[in-house]
Amino acid sequence: MKEKVEERVSFDGKKVKILGGIYEEGKPESPFQWRKKLRSREEMLAYLKTGERYWFSDEWYGSEKRKTPA
Amino acid sequence: MAETEAKSADQASVEMIEKAAAEGVETVFDRALKMKPCPIGAEGSCCKNCGMGPCRVQAPRKEGAVRPTGVCGATAETISARNFARMVAGGAAAHGDHARGVAELFLATAKGEVSDFEIKDEQKLYQLAMDFGVEIGNRDLKDIAIDVGEIAMAEFGRQEGEILFAKRAPLKRQELWRETGTMPRGIDREVVEIMHRTHIGVDQDYKSILKAAARCSLSDGWGGSMISTELQDIMFGDPVPVAGQINLGVLKEDHVNIIVHGHEPLLPEMLVVAAQDPEMRKYAESKGAKGINLAGMCCSANEILMRHGIPVAGNFLQQELAIITGAVEAMTVDVQCEMQSLVNVARCYHTKLITTDPRAHIEGAMHIEFEEHEALNIAKRILREAIDNFPNRRAQVQIPSQSIDTVVGFSHETINYLLGGLYRASYRPLNDNIINGRIRGIAGVVGCNNARTLHDDAHLKMILELIGNDVIVLTTGCSAMAAGKYGLLTPEAAHKYAGEGLASVCEAVGIPPVLHMGSCVDNSRILMAATAVVKDGGLGDDISDLPAAGAAPEWMSEKAISIGQYFVASGVYTVFGVTWPTLGSDEVTRELFEGFDEIFKGRWDFEQDPVKAAGKMIEHIDKKRKALGIDKKRERVLYDMAKRRELEAA
Repeated sequence: MKEKVEERVSFDGKKVKILGGIYEEGKPESPFQWRKKLRSREEMLAYLKTGERYWFSDEWYGSEKRKTPA
Repeated sequence: MAETEAKSADQASVEMIEKAAAEGVETVFDRALKMKPCPIGAEGSCCKNCGMGPCRVQAPRKEGAVRPTGVCGATAETISARNFARMVAGGAAAHGDHARGVAELFLATAKGEVSDFEIKDEQKLYQLAMDFGVEIGNRDLKDIAIDVGEIAMAEFGRQEGEILFAKRAPLKRQELWRETGTMPRGIDREVVEIMHRTHIGVDQDYKSILKAAARCSLSDGWGGSMISTELQDIMFGDPVPVAGQINLGVLKEDHVNIIVHGHEPLLPEMLVVAAQDPEMRKYAESKGAKGINLAGMCCSANEILMRHGIPVAGNFLQQELAIITGAVEAMTVDVQCEMQSLVNVARCYHTKLITTDPRAHIEGAMHIEFEEHEALNIAKRILREAIDNFPNRRAQVQIPSQSIDTVVGFSHETINYLLGGLYRASYRPLNDNIINGRIRGIAGVVGCNNARTLHDDAHLKMILELIGNDVIVLTTGCSAMAAGKYGLLTPEAAHKYAGEGLASVCEAVGIPPVLHMGSCVDNSRILMAATAVVKDGGLGDDISDLPAAGAAPEWMSEKAISIGQYFVASGVYTVFGVTWPTLGSDEVTRELFEGFDEIFKGRWDFEQDPVKAAGKMIEHIDKKRKALGIDKKRERVLYDMAKRRELEAA
């Protein structure tokens, strides 16, 4: 795949050349079934505890840390 | 010609409005011109809740003027609040009843009483099991599903305590609901209570009525709607990114075209399966068609677009226009937002209008009832009706060329995954980019179309203004379809329309600047996404702290009022366009626009100009950024040892 170089303005206002997007051209043929990556019950439950920790983590409540769990 | 152009911002719709005029077919756009809204009813000043009325009670605008009342003595405030509360109850009832149907089917599926449906998303089932406190362990999937289904069913008739999904909300929000007495006790109970409170001679304190309306709306957002969304996800799959097409151009002249219109995905899901049956395709070919083309309309469209990439013919104001193409063999309708005029429009062409729900018959339409035990057979029967109708086309077929790509399927779980991947799924990148200012804030732009305003125009102007100012937009319902028709639901739109900061984030993640989250019941997904952002930290500890706002710039249904009210009661500043149903009473309007801010830290607003409304939303977002201390760029300070010691001493 050929590299695309784009010119952008950096945080200090200088113009810099950076690598552009790297992706395959075209349209997706089918849905991106990321949930199918989790196959067993154990994997699914583990993901819920971590990925969906906002509701299912035992000890990590983010902004609600150290508060009484709902 | 100029008149038709003033009816829709969508060229395909304009084309069909012109065709309708040429063929002498009346549409909603014509009726809106002919019939002006009643000015008394429009501002919520008409009470017809008893046989002594209807009473027209408009609050005087002059200071010290005599304040009229209804025959029973009800004031303008009471009448206005009653009417508003009944709108909320109507909307909440629609979503609750939708949810009940889904829960009944889910339970029947779990028990093995129906064979055509299944548990497609095992993980989502576990998610609900954990929410409901159902034991998972090594139990059989079927037993877990039965327990989940029974608990979900019990939520409708719950009489006391708190609806279960309320505990998904931020802790601080839950406390606020408890303190203010607005925590819903059950889904049906809150609707019934509103109908009782607003009966003649019951609750006659407008503040009390409005607070009850807020509680009722919460039983929709965190109750009925959420149950619909979650159980549908288990049965049909949690939405994941999928490409689809939108607008009337998705219809195919040489195919049998069937449009599924309405809100419940149960029959549409079966039609998707039936349409892929080789036998049905052969049957279509035997009638001279090249195949079967299934397309959606309204929220049924959103449901099957989100899960299968089935094309969308259009939104609310395009339902008649789809038939006017002359290419639609059958249109199935279930519940909500189906115009009775479809019968008359269908008569002008060859289209068969088929009602499918026992709760929603339309005089003059064919009725084929959806029965869950015979789901696939009924779907095939409907397809045969459509196929048999293919040779009967009589009007000139004219399908607009407009159709455009979309990328949809952004459930809150999918957003979480896209932002962090399988092992680090997280809303953190979104929070970080809100904190560092690349993303200014979050806006939910949702709701209907309204024939009293230029079709799709307000949605587009508002969304473009928001994303241009680095506000990421979450969208559902007819608003999402308006955005789709304009090409805003593709990753490329970020580069084209979004501000530099938002565009850079969208580009990095590979998402559109406008995220299609589903149908109207899926507004509950926005509540969940907002809660995740709160819980991830750094942006306050309640939804009301977030730099976020909501809007329905072209609303028309009672459901929209219920949705808006549950967003307000969840702490979101929410602005509606077109018209506002309490303008007859300054006191009621003030309570909703100001008083609710003190109770819920979220409030209503009304602004007809979509760009000004977007400006108000941005202003609110900036205010919240300031309150969080993230309104200006911070100097990067390099800490030396002396500074560190100072910190430790403090």
